[in-house]
Amino acid sequence: MLIRILKNSFLKRPKSVLLVLLSITMGAAVATAFLGIAGEVSHKMALELRSYGANILLEPTALEGGGYLREDDLPKIKTVFWKYNITGFTPYLFGVADLAAAGRHERSVVAGTWFSKEVQVPGEESTEQGIKGMAPWWDLKGRWPEAADEAIVGAALARRLKLVQGSELAATVRGTVQRFRVCGVVTTGGFEEEQLFAPLVTVQQLLGQQGKISRVLVSALTVPMDDFGRKDPSTMTKDEYEKWYCTAYVTSVAKNVEEVMSGSRAKPIWQIASAEGALLTKLNAVMLLLTLLALGASATAVSTSLMASMAERSPEIALMKAMGADRFQISSIFLGEILIISVVGGLIGYLIGNQLAALISHTVFNSTIASPLWLIPMAVGSAFLVACAGSIAPLRRALLIEPVRVLKG
Amino acid sequence: MIALKLVPHLVAFFGMATVALRGATRRGMLAGTALAGFLVGTGFAVVSTGSVSGQFSFSLVRALLALSFLLFCAVSFTALYQSLGGSLPVGWLERLSSRPVSRSCALFLASAAAGAVAGCRLGPAVPSWVWGALAAAAAVLVLAAVLLESRLPAGLSTSRAGYLALTVAFLLFSASWSTRLDLFAPLTMKVMKFTHDFVHQFFESMLIPDHLFIHSYLWGYIGLLFGKEVGFWGGLIIWFTPVVMVFLAIGLERLPSVAHLRQGAQRRRVLAEAIRTRRMRLVLPGLALVLLASAVYRSLYPSVEYWDPKPVPVTANAGGEIFLPRKGEIDLMDGKLHKYVFERGGKTARFFVLLTPSGKLTVDLDACAICKPDGYGQAEGTVLCYYCKTLIPLETVGKPGGCNPVPVPFTEQDDGIHLSGVTLINTWSGTVQSTTRTTEKGK
Amino acid sequence: MAVATIETSGLTRSYGEICALKPIDLSVPEGEWLSVMGHSGSGKSTLMNLVGGLDRPTAGALVVGGQDLSTLTEDGLARFRREYVGIIFQQHHLVPYLSALENVMLSQYFHSVPDEAEARHALERVGLGHRLKNRPGELSGGEQQRVCIARAIINSPKLLLGDEPTGNLDHKSTLMVMELLKELRAEERFTVVMVTHNEEVAAWGDRTIYLTDGVLVREERTRS
Repeated sequence: MLIRILKNSFLKRPKSVLLVLLSITMGAAVATAFLGIAGEVSHKMALELRSYGANILLEPTALEGGGYLREDDLPKIKTVFWKYNITGFTPYLFGVADLAAAGRHERSVVAGTWFSKEVQVPGEESTEQGIKGMAPWWDLKGRWPEAADEAIVGAALARRLKLVQGSELAATVRGTVQRFRVCGVVTTGGFEEEQLFAPLVTVQQLLGQQGKISRVLVSALTVPMDDFGRKDPSTMTKDEYEKWYCTAYVTSVAKNVEEVMSGSRAKPIWQIASAEGALLTKLNAVMLLLTLLALGASATAVSTSLMASMAERSPEIALMKAMGADRFQISSIFLGEILIISVVGGLIGYLIGNQLAALISHTVFNSTIASPLWLIPMAVGSAFLVACAGSIAPLRRALLIEPVRVLKG
Repeated sequence: MIALKLVPHLVAFFGMATVALRGATRRGMLAGTALAGFLVGTGFAVVSTGSVSGQFSFSLVRALLALSFLLFCAVSFTALYQSLGGSLPVGWLERLSSRPVSRSCALFLASAAAGAVAGCRLGPAVPSWVWGALAAAAAVLVLAAVLLESRLPAGLSTSRAGYLALTVAFLLFSASWSTRLDLFAPLTMKVMKFTHDFVHQFFESMLIPDHLFIHSYLWGYIGLLFGKEVGFWGGLIIWFTPVVMVFLAIGLERLPSVAHLRQGAQRRRVLAEAIRTRRMRLVLPGLALVLLASAVYRSLYPSVEYWDPKPVPVTANAGGEIFLPRKGEIDLMDGKLHKYVFERGGKTARFFVLLTPSGKLTVDLDACAICKPDGYGQAEGTVLCYYCKTLIPLETVGKPGGCNPVPVPFTEQDDGIHLSGVTLINTWSGTVQSTTRTTEKGK
Repeated sequence: MAVATIETSGLTRSYGEICALKPIDLSVPEGEWLSVMGHSGSGKSTLMNLVGGLDRPTAGALVVGGQDLSTLTEDGLARFRREYVGIIFQQHHLVPYLSALENVMLSQYFHSVPDEAEARHALERVGLGHRLKNRPGELSGGEQQRVCIARAIINSPKLLLGDEPTGNLDHKSTLMVMELLKELRAEERFTVVMVTHNEEVAAWGDRTIYLTDGVLVREERTRS
């Protein structure tokens, strides 16, 4: 009988049913899309942050007066206690040079660095170190420098000097001239766009600072900072200190690296270090919040349209009550309707949300995703939740209808 | 930590006790029986895991669980048969099972089984305060069960098959939280083996791999029977069949005859009442269905956040050499962490074998040179030191230093891995003992 | 005839300041057909709603079929309505999207379980065996009212309430409906309380009471 009632009620009022269906579908679609993206993207971001983000900066202790670090110390980084947690490092040597290309002149920062250099450490397998591995987000038009006189330039600098791939330029520092061939233009979204990047050896010669570097960026696999990690090591008990020392907090790894690079001071780059933990939770929180907002909005829409249809149906409800239907029976009719609509809406919403997720991740994150199957029950569940939340108020209203008043009218 | 571990088991016990009290007469006695059963079961399991080899007690509990499942199968089949109108010569059995004494006995056994599962989870060497807490918790839960049962709506009627369904479901649910007690995984294995052997022998007896009627595409379908999915789906079918039977049995129960009632309204009222009680009786098997499904889920996705297998005991041969086959009961080449425990002269050493991403096998102690030997778990792309929670990239496992697990020398041959028991024990003593000592001094 | 189906003493119902029903004492024996007459606003519908468990009294005792209605919960009242009372309205009030048959079955559904054969039989009894599948909109007023009657009696109520059941019908249909009610009453032996302002309709009852401004002013036995 219930099925008969529902069937006829659907067929009789397709408009209001469609309206509710539409709101539920929207909610489910948005929920599916956001959850799908959140799951996928945070996974990808975690991978990227973990493997590439530099989170420790090594600088000379005496920064003023041109303090430098020694290039020879670099391989030692791969021999420290936390060597396996250090996934990459890149040395830099900065200097200011007069750049000249095709009649244009400009003073600019020249950075000597490793792009992809094989580092040999006795007793260890050789590894590739350098920008290429550590900064995969650099958008390079062209190729990485291979020869000593090749360089890549930041996009802003390239624009001003009208440099393109294959251009030639000359850098002059205190009379020393070095010619570079531009093999790539790089867009990073940061200060790097104002600089020229060339192989470390070449820049060392240009600046007359053989074997010296001005900073090292280190990327390490670390444990997210917690309250214990923030404690001052000097106040710890022996047991605690041991645990602190053998936990890969970014601070302990930094300290570890600092010990092998003579005359250096290691600073954790907090933004990125904490990003590993905090950013991801924040990203997920935002996604979740958006999902909840979308669901809330769709619940409100459901509530409104149900409220309207409830007003239209109040004689019917009053009649049912007069015939002796109790609250359970009335509710089961309306919840039955809602259940059917929400299952249908959830499935449609999943299909739409799937496409939406694919579209968003393609345009925004430039990656493809496949929504996992567990999102189907999620979508249907959230649709049902939305429907239920949206039908609380109308249902309460339906249950409060007094048959005497309505039927009299 | 222990408390958290026991929650599902206590919940299962609580549910079981609540169900058993429904419609019973001497509820105080029943509640006492449940409590006693639970404690006896726990005690037995703890003692037996401690004294006899752990493997044995686990197998025993698992066998008991399997037995209860079989009993449940039998009861569900008879219930279905009877509600289809068949009659069985089991009148004496029904009389027996409807007596209060047998109900108490059944409850005692069921609670003992629940207790045994919890006990197995606790493992040997339980401090006395845990005992006290556990007994108190169980007592509180029994009281709560009595209270809850009296609050449940009176209309929630039950059937015997329903009782059994829910009780067994609670047991299996409880067991699914322990990977070693879980029944579903071995069930799928059994099904897979059975199909495999069956198909094999069937075709061997036909002796006609190239039979005229068997076209090649047919072989494709036959191949399906050898897949892993067969075990899973077959296991799933077996797993849920009894509950579905109970559902059917209750759903197909005959409605009372209303032919003698002249008035239509009265007739309908009698029918409606019968249908309502029948529906109510579906509640218990419905719950059982949910529990069984969650047990399957637990079995497929164990709750451990990290892959953390129980160490498998290994022994050395006469020459003092430990041999681990490459593809035996444990597949060393599957990229997962495989833990073993080796005992010799009163000293034990835990170690693990892992295939690193570079394709090399490595054998390491389940401890590093500096941390307390809490061991390692495996996460995606890394292993994790349980003590300091440091992630160690899989590629570097097998290299000494840092918080990396201490490597153990071994020789790899075609058939598997050979390593010396003495070296293992010595490496363990040399590194781990020293760290435990310093830690204790530091306190 | 000794058992009273309806027993009220000091039954009062007021809506805020307006007192729709002044304290009223009434006793309706089992099986009686009581007509309630009065102008609109005289409180006759209020009385009917109270007796049918659709409304609650402000004060006074109201016992119907041995049950004190003022003590029942909302769901208890609903249960009372579906098991004890059948109601026929002036405006019919059928569910528009259900067929005649389904409207009757709806009442069965709320009562216990639907039984199509029985519902069909009930409609045949009121002479609508040929219009089972029609929606209310496709039926004439008299036919609709007969569907209502079938629906009201399908659960064998002890008490049949009519709120101006013939108010919207022409003379011929009125006669037909009243005849039908009389016939059914003879078979099913339910008590009838019928509100009307039509003397002719009231005359079908055993007894008529007259209400003016919520007060029982006169009572008259039509037949012995």
